[in-house]
Amino acid sequence: MSTANLPIVAEGLQRYVGSGDDQVKAVDGVDLRIEQGEVFGFLGPNGAGKSTTVRMLTTLLRPTGGSARVAGFDVVDEANEVRRNIGVALQDAAIDPLMTGAELLKLQAVLYGLPKAQHSTKAGELLERVGLTAAGDRRVGTYSGGMRRRLDLALSLIHEPSVLFLDEPTTGLDPMSRISLWEEIRRLNNDGTTVLLTTQYLEEADQLAERIAIIDNGVIVRKGRPAELKAEVGSPTLFVSVDASVTDGAKVLLEGFGDLRPSAEGTLGVGLDDGPAAVSNVVRTLDEAGIAVKNLELREPSLDDVFAEATGYRLEGADT
Amino acid sequence: MTALDDTRPELSKNPQRNAATTRVWPASVGLMRRSLVNIVRLPSAFIPSIMMPIFQAIAFSGTFFAIIQIPGFPTDRSINWFLPLGVVMGSGFAGIGIGFATIRDLEGGFYDRLRLTPAPRTSLVTGPLFAALVRSAIVTSIVFVVGSLFGARLTHGPLGLVPLFIAGLGIAAIGTGWGLGLAYRFRDMRAAAIMQLTFFLLIFLTEAQTPLFIMEGWLEGVTRINPFNNVIRLSRLGFLDAPMTWDNTWGGLLALFVFAGGTLLFARRGLAKLSDV
Repeated sequence: MSTANLPIVAEGLQRYVGSGDDQVKAVDGVDLRIEQGEVFGFLGPNGAGKSTTVRMLTTLLRPTGGSARVAGFDVVDEANEVRRNIGVALQDAAIDPLMTGAELLKLQAVLYGLPKAQHSTKAGELLERVGLTAAGDRRVGTYSGGMRRRLDLALSLIHEPSVLFLDEPTTGLDPMSRISLWEEIRRLNNDGTTVLLTTQYLEEADQLAERIAIIDNGVIVRKGRPAELKAEVGSPTLFVSVDASVTDGAKVLLEGFGDLRPSAEGTLGVGLDDGPAAVSNVVRTLDEAGIAVKNLELREPSLDDVFAEATGYRLEGADT
Repeated sequence: MTALDDTRPELSKNPQRNAATTRVWPASVGLMRRSLVNIVRLPSAFIPSIMMPIFQAIAFSGTFFAIIQIPGFPTDRSINWFLPLGVVMGSGFAGIGIGFATIRDLEGGFYDRLRLTPAPRTSLVTGPLFAALVRSAIVTSIVFVVGSLFGARLTHGPLGLVPLFIAGLGIAAIGTGWGLGLAYRFRDMRAAAIMQLTFFLLIFLTEAQTPLFIMEGWLEGVTRINPFNNVIRLSRLGFLDAPMTWDNTWGGLLALFVFAGGTLLFARRGLAKLSDV
């Protein structure tokens, strides 16, 4: 398949840190093919390699191996062309706290080579777009976390990039700010902008991304459309809480209904081969064995199940 | 790197969506303005950088006022001897201050945002350099005015300000190159200690306080070979009784040229290596 018209292509992308026995494979052979106009979700826990991959794709970090093209340009040999075509909002809204929002946008306009006559207009438009017009002349140090994120997004849009990288854009935001940012991302995507979004929030990936890749320990372990990935998991998962003293016995009994699946501590998870209809049988079997059930929860396959099946542990409730 | 398809996608050909080519000069000026605005907004950094050289010139000339009684001392005013030293120190810190600010940007992540722009990499060095030069010019002017109020006199007329400003600007350029280069390599405050220590050593192992002809032992030997001694001499040309000749000038100019070029190259290479870490 030709990769010529794909805005983001990576083949065997690697980033190794250190050497010898201390060498860490932060990213180990990542392949990506992201379609034009797509929102692509890059999902994984902290330290999985998401940000390192983004830093390589955005020219901040030189790959140890492999290759990547963004907006049609090689990220190593044509780094400046890549920079001209991408917008990036990094994980920590890295904004100079001493400057005002308007000053930062104007500086960004200068650094992107926009004509001087457009600097103020563009800054005003973007401040309005992200709802920061009133705060535009205030120093960024006085902004809330949500305001900084929105300004960060505005800064990445000053030159109307065709490809946008958003590295955990909603981490640490309150629910309202998160939803507001999601709406903005959708709007940008509707305008034709390709978006690569890294996140550790399953709901975010589910809500926004047309396709996702799950990365763990520097390796992509699953890739595809969320609905297809969930369908691959198949059966729903029943989570059963029992007393710690009878956990081993409960495990043996639950294995009769399907494969045990990763679950939070104090809970057992089992994929029900016979679907939701098997719940009553599970309860009866445990009851007959004298095991008291403290709590039951049946969940249709989710991205967390996809993640758990791929990695052996769950992202939700993990130390993120 | 393995080869991928070499054809450019349509999206990158749309000029409406792409930034224009950024030139070095406007990008440098933009970054300089940002540095200068931030200096004013961070008085805890700005005020000491102005006060320190003034204090140094006045305090040293007062404490060591009897230095002029040394036979053969080249001026009859101690402030004439110490004012240029204050300018050199202040200008050096104007440059090194850029290194401190860059460490703050690197640690805070703002520097990544600058590196993500298509601004020419050279402008990421020249922008802060211009800011340091402006700071140096401000410091030199203020120190000269205050020093004049305390009795400093130009022995060769206004022309004597030229070597003073050249020395100040040159030292600021060296401080910037050194500060940026170390900031890029260490990326944290470890660099700050090295910046200051090396700078202090180089300046004080000169005729900063006493003339060479009364020095003895290893200090004399080091001062003789320290190129920065020529810079200190250059800065004092307009304030001493000795004539302002080319023979007294070229050594300082050469030292400034070589060290400014070397340290700015050191900074530029350090910037390029940021992508490796």
